[in-house]
Amino acid sequence: MEPVQIEHHFEPKIVAFLCNWCSYAGADNAGISRLKSPANVLPIRVMCSGRVSAEMILRAFRSGADGVMVLGCHIGDCHYINANHRTVKRLPLLQKLLGYTGINPDRLILDWVSSAEAPKFAKVTSNFVTKVRAIGPIAEELGMGLRAPFNARPIEEVTA
Amino acid sequence: MIEQIQSRVEENLQDLDGIVALRLTNQGAAPYLYQSGDDVAQLVMEPRYPVSETVSKLQKRYRDANFGIVARGCDTRALVEMSKRHQIDPNRLYLICVACSSEQADACHCSEPYPILDQWPRSELIGEPVAGAAPHPLVAEYENITREDRWSFWKLQFTKCIKCYGCRDICPVCFCDACALEDPLWVEPGLLVPDFPMYHLIKAMHMTTRCIACRQCETACPAGIPLTVLYDLIRADVADLIGYLPGADVDSKPPLSLTLADAPIKSDLVY
Amino acid sequence: MDYQNILTICPFCGCGCALNLEVIDGEIVGVLPANDHPVGRGSLCIKGWNAHAFVNHQDRLTSPLIRENGGFREASWDEALELVAEKFEGIKSQSGPDAIGVLTSAKCTNEENYLLQKLARAVFGTNNVDHCARL
Repeated sequence: MEPVQIEHHFEPKIVAFLCNWCSYAGADNAGISRLKSPANVLPIRVMCSGRVSAEMILRAFRSGADGVMVLGCHIGDCHYINANHRTVKRLPLLQKLLGYTGINPDRLILDWVSSAEAPKFAKVTSNFVTKVRAIGPIAEELGMGLRAPFNARPIEEVTA
Repeated sequence: MIEQIQSRVEENLQDLDGIVALRLTNQGAAPYLYQSGDDVAQLVMEPRYPVSETVSKLQKRYRDANFGIVARGCDTRALVEMSKRHQIDPNRLYLICVACSSEQADACHCSEPYPILDQWPRSELIGEPVAGAAPHPLVAEYENITREDRWSFWKLQFTKCIKCYGCRDICPVCFCDACALEDPLWVEPGLLVPDFPMYHLIKAMHMTTRCIACRQCETACPAGIPLTVLYDLIRADVADLIGYLPGADVDSKPPLSLTLADAPIKSDLVY
Repeated sequence: MDYQNILTICPFCGCGCALNLEVIDGEIVGVLPANDHPVGRGSLCIKGWNAHAFVNHQDRLTSPLIRENGGFREASWDEALELVAEKFEGIKSQSGPDAIGVLTSAKCTNEENYLLQKLARAVFGTNNVDHCARL
């Protein structure tokens, strides 16, 4: 009997921080309108994109997210007036830092999606999943074996 | 030059409650608060200590005292960043600034080995400023290093970390009581080596708009991790994208918590 | 108003890194590394960086305490040491000297460790002596 080659198809795990007032509502509307958006996205609702700190994003990567999206309100539309000003300054610096450390900075994106922009939500998430699928698993970049939960030691990769 | 510094300290002690500088005894050199009557012949400038932290501690303890400090360029930059964050009262501080020599600048890869006096109303300068040294060789060549090489370099470096928190403890601009690096949510307690990328990237993010390139963290690191290579790279980006240079201007507020009107960033997402 | 750094050796492990204790008006407020010392050469481990924390800690005992009725009550040194000697005497006569063990510590000086092993061997009459660094 010939050994059978099994194709392992990589599906990225994406964590999306969605702000309660705009992007989360936009994601909700995308679902209600039956727009196709990828199932790879794990939404985490935060009150504002300004609340998303570098620590949270790094923990998402460490916990096994292949890509992280931060979606907030447009500049000028933030429910808390100007909290998204902080996001727009913080995220590019974190992207640069990831690049300097050797992690692909394209794994992290920031975009604005308002509650009325359900098609934009579907488009942004699909494009991002396609991009991260092409980049590859984070486990290879971070040198982890199977994606270990945060409070466990990385375990050796089990080869099929 | 050391005699000049010593005599200026002695003269200034007439008007000040104390001057923070290094003192060399038979036990070695360490920061000390010189007061009127002390022997200034013991004053030295090497080895480097973060004297800005010492004067901050003393100012918080004695809220009416007028102190002086013998400060290098990096110390004055640290004092600028600390005073913006209310850790230093510049009105009760007299600076005796000392310009570093070329050898000292080369040892620290320092691009600005001299204090900027116009930030401080009460200051004086001893010594001639010299030109800045070349940047760290890694920083200069960083664009040419591939992503895989960057990754394997930092993975090796961060594996050496023993989580002593020395880089955080000795940093002059790190003063938070509730430090993110001690939060078990982000940096898992009891795990040695710290999980990549948690400890070091969190510190690097917190150092954006704060790091003044004093190199104390690198000197204090028992494992010799070249931390300031990362911090130098991100500092160049902060200067480029936001136009903010830590330690340069005592009146410019730290930009990350300001609105875009007060501190804009060059980004496609701002329209 | 007095600030100085006092050079001392870290009390924790046997490496013997030197550190400076920052002292303001006789009170220990912090630690700085000893940059020109040959052992540590300006570096400290996490224990060294926090060597000042236990000195004035609120949880430190300030007087001998004797357990009574499920709680503790303060006692004088004489009373406490009398009780300790009495109890050790009792254990030694009841179960023999080898029922007692002595654990010394890297935080003790060499002289204190010597006295502890002398106490174990000459007074209690046992060879059960060990040191925290061996564990």
